[in-house]
Amino acid sequence: MSNVILFNLTTFLFGVASALYLGALYAKNEKIGVFGTWVCILAAVVSTAALGVRWYESYQMGIGRIPVTNLYESLVFFAWSVNLFYLVVEWKYRNRTFGAFVMPIAFFTMVFAVYNDSSIQPLVPALQSYWLHAHVITCFVGYAGFAVSAGVAIMYLLKARQEEAKISKGVVGLLPPCKVLDELVYRAIIWGFPFLTVGIITGAAWANYAWGTYWSWDPKETWSLIIWLIYAAFLHARVTRGWHGKRAAILSIVGFLATIFCYLGVNLVLSGLHSYGGG
Amino acid sequence: MADEKRTPSPMDRVWDFFISVRLAIFTLIVLASTSILGTIIEQNQPPEKYHQIYEDWAFALLDRLNMFDMYHSVWFLLMLVLFTVNLSCCTIDRFPRMLKVVRNPRTKLDENLEKSLSLSDRWKKKGTLQEWAGKYSEALSSSFAKPKVTEVDGQVHLYAETGVASRFGVYVTHLSIIIIFIGAIFGNVAGFKGYVNIPEGDAITRVPVRGGTQVQDLGFTVRCNAFSLETYPSGQPKAYKSDLSVIEGGREVVRKTIVVNDPLQYKGIWFYQSSYGQAGGVTAQVTVARKDGTPVNTLALAANEPVPIEGYGIVRGVDYSENFQGMGPALQVVVEKPGQPAASFWLVRGRPDLDRQRADSLAFSFGGLSSKMFTGLQVAKDPGVNIVWLGCALMVIGLIMAFFLSHQRVWVRLAQGTDGRVEVVLAGSASRNRLAFEKRFEKLQTGVKATGQ
Repeated sequence: MSNVILFNLTTFLFGVASALYLGALYAKNEKIGVFGTWVCILAAVVSTAALGVRWYESYQMGIGRIPVTNLYESLVFFAWSVNLFYLVVEWKYRNRTFGAFVMPIAFFTMVFAVYNDSSIQPLVPALQSYWLHAHVITCFVGYAGFAVSAGVAIMYLLKARQEEAKISKGVVGLLPPCKVLDELVYRAIIWGFPFLTVGIITGAAWANYAWGTYWSWDPKETWSLIIWLIYAAFLHARVTRGWHGKRAAILSIVGFLATIFCYLGVNLVLSGLHSYGGG
Repeated sequence: MADEKRTPSPMDRVWDFFISVRLAIFTLIVLASTSILGTIIEQNQPPEKYHQIYEDWAFALLDRLNMFDMYHSVWFLLMLVLFTVNLSCCTIDRFPRMLKVVRNPRTKLDENLEKSLSLSDRWKKKGTLQEWAGKYSEALSSSFAKPKVTEVDGQVHLYAETGVASRFGVYVTHLSIIIIFIGAIFGNVAGFKGYVNIPEGDAITRVPVRGGTQVQDLGFTVRCNAFSLETYPSGQPKAYKSDLSVIEGGREVVRKTIVVNDPLQYKGIWFYQSSYGQAGGVTAQVTVARKDGTPVNTLALAANEPVPIEGYGIVRGVDYSENFQGMGPALQVVVEKPGQPAASFWLVRGRPDLDRQRADSLAFSFGGLSSKMFTGLQVAKDPGVNIVWLGCALMVIGLIMAFFLSHQRVWVRLAQGTDGRVEVVLAGSASRNRLAFEKRFEKLQTGVKATGQ
């Protein structure tokens, strides 16, 4: 199907963009980075078109529904969100070094997606609800924010180690100063956190409408709460002396690892109400 | 002050413990990490299942720690209580101070305040204090916010602010969590959750409560008229439908076909499509009519189950054939009349009139086989749920206030200089997102400076 071809092209473009950003960093050549930005923009256009085409094709099959309902679709939607989130960050901070740390996340997500079943399947009765749209979209925008934050947190840890040793050579020397990175780790989370919160709330509202309980401590629900608690801890750490910078960066990375587990691990390892996400 | 040198009393220490943000971080991380356990150990399974997985000593230990229902265990609830107490104490400690600052802002730009602000500028102007105070007031009103004017010691101070609400964001968010907890507790106490299976054609007035032996009286009757299962052409399930009636005072008051994601609600009690299955065995539908064709009865014959017909005899369905003598599906029945030998004959579904040729007072026709289904319904009453949604809405509002608003303050001080000119100082600060405020301040700076030229 043509949507899958477009998604494969997107995977390729994300790979190229990641390579260009990394290359720009190593070669200390801004021009390569500019090229990377254009590839990212092209990937954004192609992947948006792919989502649209997939949506349209589902209607042609007579089972029209939004393309965010199984593992393959959620992976490509996540990568799509990360790419857009990254482009906004790059545009706002006018710095391309983030790309080397964030775009590989989008690329490897797509590579993982390619190995999953990409066929369009009809919705099981449990998923036939308007809550689906609000719930999935808000959750994934939240996840994308956390992905960007974790990528920048890694940059922060690299840079902080170098700043402590008072060297500014090499690739790490090109990264923005710690202050800027710390701020961006935080800003990505203050975008991700409200979206995750709305994601959890819409999930609860939907669960209440479908099953009569807004919270049943199902593994997926519990893991989403775990992520929420970790980022809540992060937000409080930011305003506490001694919890700045390094510890906050580590919390951001831990938070993203928990996010990945909530997203994939719960479906692949644990059992529960979200079993359809694993297919 | 003398107070500060005194060693803190035990009460103060306890209070300081509960108002610390460190405790909040600690509680959040401990809640997060212990919550993981309940996702690894499956919750609320029958004991036999746990015995299969765990050694006896491990089972005993986990059971002792309530690990098989950990989210409702005393220790987990105590952590939630600690979390709530911490949250409340922080609010009690900080909210009044913040309110005071908001109500009585520092409207005067004194030397100390000026030094503490990173964004400031100063210049001189020819003219009078009042004249420039008026002009700058207007400039601030149009490009920032209407300033408060204070005259003190021959100086004029202008103070303007926007986004004060951002200071309340954190309190709204914290309050929302407490409201959600209140809603959850209220719902648990005043509501119930149950599950019931209703076979097609049957009705219920009571529902067994989940996780207990209690039975909840509904105060009305719910009947399942029919259950149906729709599939996609590929055979995957498309919809589970239950046609339900609510009967109160002997008459039907509501009728609705519910599906997953579209429940029935009556008097605060919700019925959710949750499960389904076959109720009992397969039955054969048999219509009974007189010789002239007037219908008498419709029977649902279970295999070999005798069904009496008044003034006639006993009817039994004894065999079924997919294709009886090339005529299609058929049912073999046996009729026993008092004092007569049993008669056995076949009813062909495709030839409903055939049985009239048999010498008898009644004629039968076979309408096909059908299996009776039951629908499985989750039943819930949760009067606390709207409190929970209120809390959720407040939480989102609180987060937006806290993260996306910024309390921005701008001061202007005008003083008569020794050279007869007016000395002007402009300064500003923002509670968050200082980068964005720097840009806004620069714009304001050029705008205000250019006023009156």
